[in-house]
Amino acid sequence: MTDDLKALVESLIFVSQEPVSLDRLQAVLEGVPEADIQAAVDALATDTAANGRGIHIVRAGGGWLFTTKPGHDREVRRLLQIERKNRLSSAGLETLAVIAYRQPITQSEISAIRGVDATGALKTLLDKKLIKIVGRKKAPGNPLVYRTSEEFLLYLGLDSLEGLPSEAEIAKILEEEKAVEG
Amino acid sequence: MTETGPDILTGEDAPVPPAPGPADGYQVRLDVFEGPLDLLLFLIRKKKIDIHDIPIAAITRDYLGYLERKTEINLDREAEFVFIAALLIYIKSQMLLPRETDLAESEDPRRVLVDRLVEYEKVRAACSLLREREDVQILQWKRDFIPPLHGESELEPVELSLFDLAESFFLMMNRRAADDTRIIRGRDVSYEVKMKELVTLLHERSVIDFLEYFEAHASLEEALIAFFCILELVKSRVAVAVQDELFQTIRVWLRKDARRTAAHD
Repeated sequence: MTDDLKALVESLIFVSQEPVSLDRLQAVLEGVPEADIQAAVDALATDTAANGRGIHIVRAGGGWLFTTKPGHDREVRRLLQIERKNRLSSAGLETLAVIAYRQPITQSEISAIRGVDATGALKTLLDKKLIKIVGRKKAPGNPLVYRTSEEFLLYLGLDSLEGLPSEAEIAKILEEEKAVEG
Repeated sequence: MTETGPDILTGEDAPVPPAPGPADGYQVRLDVFEGPLDLLLFLIRKKKIDIHDIPIAAITRDYLGYLERKTEINLDREAEFVFIAALLIYIKSQMLLPRETDLAESEDPRRVLVDRLVEYEKVRAACSLLREREDVQILQWKRDFIPPLHGESELEPVELSLFDLAESFFLMMNRRAADDTRIIRGRDVSYEVKMKELVTLLHERSVIDFLEYFEAHASLEEALIAFFCILELVKSRVAVAVQDELFQTIRVWLRKDARRTAAHD
């Protein structure tokens, strides 16, 4: 792996609007072995993670992308004149979680799990492009079927849906909650 | 615990339920709960009850106690809470029925509720993990969050409601009023075929002129079907319908993300 390759990969990730996958890099850098590209990205990630750098490389949505470091949030917002970035409401997050784990899923299936109507939450999530409609279910009423979007992965910094908290992690949280109360 | 009390709500040796009202010292407003299942979980945890062996009568009493505290009425929300209350009472009634043989565990009337609660509990736990992620991610700015530079876009078009579309449609119908509708022409057009045709056209041309598109149709029937197709596309957020100015024609194009997904398929 050469410094040239590292610099090249940095440029490619910089100009891309979407996360750049290893496949994409390989297609662009014809003939460069996969291991070399991977090493270049790793080296770049180490470099940018160091103190004294404002932008680092993160892995999300199946590829790499640049983001600013968390500590700079306040000043970045001031520059962009954004008061604050709203977190999802708890209804929104709950709906999103149900879709993420149970996709593809219809509105009535979501409501059945949450015990609450999901119309409003679905609209918000669609507007934020965190979920998408992928078709209709062949069932009475042909209800719309929802899935999480690419944007969802980026929003939560997940590489893929595999990265969602696992059954074991969830069980651990439940244990902890019970321990606190007990 | 077995529940064989004579009365649904008092037949249990559970401790006295918290009296609704300030005397309880534990005022929780209903709207802090995400929904009825959230409230139920809260009550179950507060009493340190095993979720798989819920004393239905005691929980129902607590649950109804909270419902009575509501300060304002929101019919939709109310219905959801009442639905679960009804489910609780139904379960209790099922448990009171005399049976010749003991029920197997899988036949426990509480099973429906327990399954839902266990499931919901997991969703809540997943949410707390996802919230942690969100809190970290939200501080990291990606390039696509940078607002676009001004001046490059054309005039700001108005996104239309279905009603605007319908109005345009009637305008077109009027233009066609001269058509003799008493004569029925033989050509059958199916919705599926038209939809395919329309989507292909949208892909090819990127933008179509609403009125022009209809004028091109031979029969009223075909135009009608095409109109329904467009309504469907707009409703399912696959296409956007935009009017630059009032009373002008309407342009229709595919949404960017829809275009991408369609290309993937």
